[in-house]
Amino acid sequence: MGTGGIGIVRVSGPDAKQIAHRLLGRHPNPRIAEYGSFRDAKNEPIDSGIALFFEGPNSYTGEDVLELHGHGGVVVQQLVCERVRALGARMAEPGEFTQRAYLNNRIDLTQAEAVADLINASSAEAAKASSRSLSGLFSKEVHALDENIFKVRTYVEAAIDFADEDIDFLSDQALRQLVEATRTHLSSLLVRTREGTVLQLGLTVVIAGAPNVGKSSLLNALLNEDRAIVTEVAGTTRDTLNETIHIHGMPVRLIDTAGLHQSEDRIEEEGIARARSAIEKADLILWVTEDEDVKHPSELPTKHLMVLNKCDLTSNKPGFVSDDTLRISALHKAGLKELRDMVAQTAGHRLSDDAFAGRPRHISALEAVGQHLQKVEEFLANSMGELVAEELKHAHHHLGEIVGQTSTENLLGEIFSKFCVGK
Amino acid sequence: MPIIDYKETFDVVVIGGGHAGTEAALAAARMGSSTLLVTQSIETIGQMSCNPAIGGIGKTHLVREVDALGGAMALATDRAGIHFRTLNASKGPAVQALRAQTDRALYKAAIREIVEQQNGLKIYQDSVVDLELESDRVQTILTRTGVKISARTVVLTTGTFLGGRIFIGHEQHEGGRAGDPPSNVLAQRLRALPFRVNRLKTGTPPRLDGRTVDYSHLEIQPGDGNDTVFSYIESVKSHPEQRPCHITHTNRSTHDIIRRSVEDSPMFTGAIEGIGPRYCPSIEDKVVRFAERNQHQIFVEPEGLNTTELYPNGISTSLPFNVQQEFVRSIRGFANAHITRPGYAIEYDFFDPRDLEPTLQTKQVENLFFAGQINGTTGYEEAAAQGLLAGLNASLKAADKSGWYPRRHEAYLGVLVDDLTSFGTNEPYRMFTSRAEFRLRLRQDNADQRLTPIGHELGLVSKERWQQFQQKHLSITRVKEQLQRTVIQPNDSRVPKLEQETGESITREVRLVDFVKRPRVTVSAIKLAGWLQDVDVKIAEQAAIDIKYEGYIARQDQEIKKAKAAERMAIPVPFNYTDVSGLSSELRQKLSESQPNNMASASKIPGMTPAALALLAIYVKRNREQRKIA
Repeated sequence: MGTGGIGIVRVSGPDAKQIAHRLLGRHPNPRIAEYGSFRDAKNEPIDSGIALFFEGPNSYTGEDVLELHGHGGVVVQQLVCERVRALGARMAEPGEFTQRAYLNNRIDLTQAEAVADLINASSAEAAKASSRSLSGLFSKEVHALDENIFKVRTYVEAAIDFADEDIDFLSDQALRQLVEATRTHLSSLLVRTREGTVLQLGLTVVIAGAPNVGKSSLLNALLNEDRAIVTEVAGTTRDTLNETIHIHGMPVRLIDTAGLHQSEDRIEEEGIARARSAIEKADLILWVTEDEDVKHPSELPTKHLMVLNKCDLTSNKPGFVSDDTLRISALHKAGLKELRDMVAQTAGHRLSDDAFAGRPRHISALEAVGQHLQKVEEFLANSMGELVAEELKHAHHHLGEIVGQTSTENLLGEIFSKFCVGK
Repeated sequence: MPIIDYKETFDVVVIGGGHAGTEAALAAARMGSSTLLVTQSIETIGQMSCNPAIGGIGKTHLVREVDALGGAMALATDRAGIHFRTLNASKGPAVQALRAQTDRALYKAAIREIVEQQNGLKIYQDSVVDLELESDRVQTILTRTGVKISARTVVLTTGTFLGGRIFIGHEQHEGGRAGDPPSNVLAQRLRALPFRVNRLKTGTPPRLDGRTVDYSHLEIQPGDGNDTVFSYIESVKSHPEQRPCHITHTNRSTHDIIRRSVEDSPMFTGAIEGIGPRYCPSIEDKVVRFAERNQHQIFVEPEGLNTTELYPNGISTSLPFNVQQEFVRSIRGFANAHITRPGYAIEYDFFDPRDLEPTLQTKQVENLFFAGQINGTTGYEEAAAQGLLAGLNASLKAADKSGWYPRRHEAYLGVLVDDLTSFGTNEPYRMFTSRAEFRLRLRQDNADQRLTPIGHELGLVSKERWQQFQQKHLSITRVKEQLQRTVIQPNDSRVPKLEQETGESITREVRLVDFVKRPRVTVSAIKLAGWLQDVDVKIAEQAAIDIKYEGYIARQDQEIKKAKAAERMAIPVPFNYTDVSGLSSELRQKLSESQPNNMASASKIPGMTPAALALLAIYVKRNREQRKIA
C-alpha cells in the first residue's frame, strides 16, 4: 500500500483464486493483465484497475497470487483491503511475502536472511511490548485489553470446568459489565488507532545532496524505471519527487529532492525549501555525493547514510566503507543490494522504536477482537456458556497476534491460583 | 531361584490390572492378539483406589471415547452407578458431562466379568520384577516366583505402585495403595533404563462410617433421575438401585484445627518432594492458600449399596490421624463420625511422557508401552483412555502394523496424548475441556460418530456395536434431511404452540433446519408443538447440535487445515534457538526447553507471536539447507 499514483494490493495463498472470483465476478486468467472493476459484497464497484493472477508455484511466493492494481488513494485502497479481508484474507506480517517465497523455494537464502532481519525487528518489538514496561499509549492500552479478556476467560473457563464449585460466573452481572467495558474500551482505541494510521504507513527515505551527484539516477535505479528525467544539467529536479517502492515487503516512500545549493532561480529555490522540509521529516536520509569529490552535509537532523556515488569513475569497489558510508554506482546498479538492506534495517529499527503506532495488521486484529466480543455479549445474554468461551478464545487469539499468545496452561494456572477449586 | 519358562509367547503382555491395564488388555484381545494380564492380585482388578465416581467435565468425554472404541469403563459404570447427574446441563452440549457415583464392589465385579469373558485374554497373578531387554526390545518378563514369560510387546500400567510411599503425618511407609505393597524391585529395574523419572504425589481423604454420620445435618443431593447412560450400547435397565449424595462444609473451627497442625503435614515439613495436583489440593493446602475462605464444600459420597462406608470428597489430607479425627468431628453432621481408614498422601515414580511416542510406545524401547499414572496423569478416565490406546497399539505392533492415535481435533484422547508427549507435565495431569481447542466438536454426545468407524476398522468394536452405530448414524442423517425438508408456515395451526414453547415469533415461512439454529430453540420444544413426531428425541437433539454448530465447525476445519500444515513443518530436535536472533529471551528459553518437533507445537508455546513463528520458519529451513550442504 502506498500513496503513489497506483496502489497495489497483493493477496497470496490457496484462497487467492476464490477471492479473485468473488471480487472480480469472474475467474481470473493466469498471467494476463485484465482491466475491470473490483466489487464489494453487493456487487457495487469499489475501484477499477488491473487484476493480475499468478498460479502457484509460478508466482513470487510460490502460492496463488492475486495482484490488484487500483487507484492509489488511501481510502480507496483501504476499501479494497477491507473487501479482500472480508473474503478471507488477512493483513500480511512484515516480510511475510518474502518469507513465503523462501519457504516455497522461490528465492534463495541470502535474500531470505534480509527478511529475517526485518521480522527480527518486529518481533523484537513484540518482545519489548510483552515486558509490560513499554511506554507508548497504544501498547499500554492493548495490554490492558489483553488482561481484561484474560480475566473474563478465567472466569468463564472456571465456570465451565469446575461446575461443582460455587463459582457460576456466567450469570454474574459483574462479568457482563466487564465484557461491556472491554468492548467500549476497544471501540475507542480502534477509532484513535485508525486516525493515527493513515499518516504512518511506511518509511520515508529522502535522497539529498548537492546538485548533479546522481540523486535521481539513484532513485531511478531503485525504481528500476525512468520516472525522473535525468540530464547532465545541474538543477534538473526542481521539486521533490515522491515514489513508493517495496523493500522486502515493507513500503518505503522515496523522496528525491532538488540539489541543495545557492540558487537564483525562484522555482529552484522553492524546490530547495521543499527539500529541506522533506529532510526534516525523513526517517532516513541518503546523502549522495560523488566518490571522487566527497562533500559532507553541513547539518542533518536525522539518521543518514553517506552514499558515495559514481564509483565507476574511480577505481574504488562498491560496498560499505564504514557503518554509515556506502560506495555505489547508480549507473551500473552496483552496491544497491547493500543499500536496500540498509534501508530495510532502518525500517526495522523504526518499527521497533515506534512499536504499536497502529499498523494495518494491528487494526485488523483489533477489529476481529471487536467482532468476537460482540458475539460474547450476545451469547452471555442467552447464557450459552460454551459459545461465550469459544468467542472469547478467538478474541483473545486475535489480540495475541499483537501481544503474544496465551496458552491453556496460563489460563489453568490463573484459575488455580485465583479460585479454590477441586476436591 | 529356579527359572521356569512359560510355554506360550504372548503378542501382548499387560502388567497391572487397574483402569489402564484392563482397558489395554481388553483392547489388545479384542483386536485378536493373544494377551496376558499380569496383576499382583486378581481380587483388585478394576479397583477404584480413590473416590467411587466415574466421569466429570472433560473426563466423561474420555469415558465416552473409550466406549466408542469398544472399551469397558462406560459399561461397568452403567452397571455400578448408584447416582447419576449431568454437570453443566445449561452451558451447552459440548461441555455437558454425565457423572456417576458408583458402588465400588459392583464396579470391580463388572470389570472383572468383562475381563474374564474376553476371548483371547488370560489373567495371571504374580508380581513382575524384571523386564529382560535385548537390542532395545523387551524379550521376556520375569515374575517374583521365577516365571519367565516371552512377549512380543509389553504394556506397563503400574499406577502409583512404582516406588510408592505413603504418608500420614510424620508416619511414612512403603505402599502402592493403602493395604497393598509397592513394586519396588520393578521400580529399581526401570530406573536403570534410559527413561527420565520423577516423583508426583496425590492424596485421599479419611473414610467414614456412615452409621456415625448425622444425615439430618447434611444437605441432600439426589441424582437426576434414571434416564441417562454412559455407554452408547447400554440402557438404563442395567442401572442398580439409586442413592443420593450429601453435601456439607468445613467451617472456621475446622480451619483453626488444621492451621494449628499444619507443621505436622508432610506436605509442609518437606518430607514429600513430589508435586501434587493444583486442582485437587489437600484440605490443609486449601486452608493455607485460601485463608480468606470460611468454608469449603464436601461431597459425601456413598461407597456402595451394601456398605455403610462414606467417601467425604473435598478433605483429602496427610495430617496425623489424631488431627484428622479432630477436624472431621468439627464438621457439621460429622460430630460423632468414626474414621474407618485415615486419609493419606502417596508419592510415586512417574516417567516423563515426553519419552513416549503418541502411540504411548516408549522412544527408547520399541515394543514397550506405558499407560496410566506411570505417565504422570491422574484419574481413572485418563488411565482407561491411555490403556486402550496403548493396548491397541501394542496389538498393532505385535502384528507388525503401523500405529494409530487420534489427533487433537478428533478426540480428547488426542488432546491428552499430544499434551503429554509434547509438553510433559509437572503435576498429575487431569483432563479439562479448556485443554481442547476444538471443544465444540469433541462432545460427549458424538464420541461414537467421531471414533466408532475407526474402532471398527481397527477391529476394536463388536459386531453388535457396529450395527447399532450404523443404525444411529442413519437415523441422524434422516432427521437432518427431515429438518431440511420441513417448512413451518406462519399460518400453521401448531405455530402458536411453537412460539409459546420457544419464545420465538414466526412471521414468515421458515425451514426447520434454520429454525433450530436460533439459540433458544430446542428439539423437545419443536416436538411438543407437534413437529418431528416420529423422531427419537436424542437422535434429533444430536442432529440439531450438528446444525447449530455448523458455522463453528467450518471455522475449526480451517484452523485444523492450518494446524496440519504447521505439523508437517518439522523442526529438528534438538534445535539451537540461540541462533535465531530476534526472539525474546523468554521465548527462546521456552523453545529451548520444550524443543517442539514441529511448527504446530511451537505455535502453542505461551507468548508466541506470528512474527516469532515466521522467523522460526526461516531459521528452520535455513538449518535444513545448511545441513544438506554439509
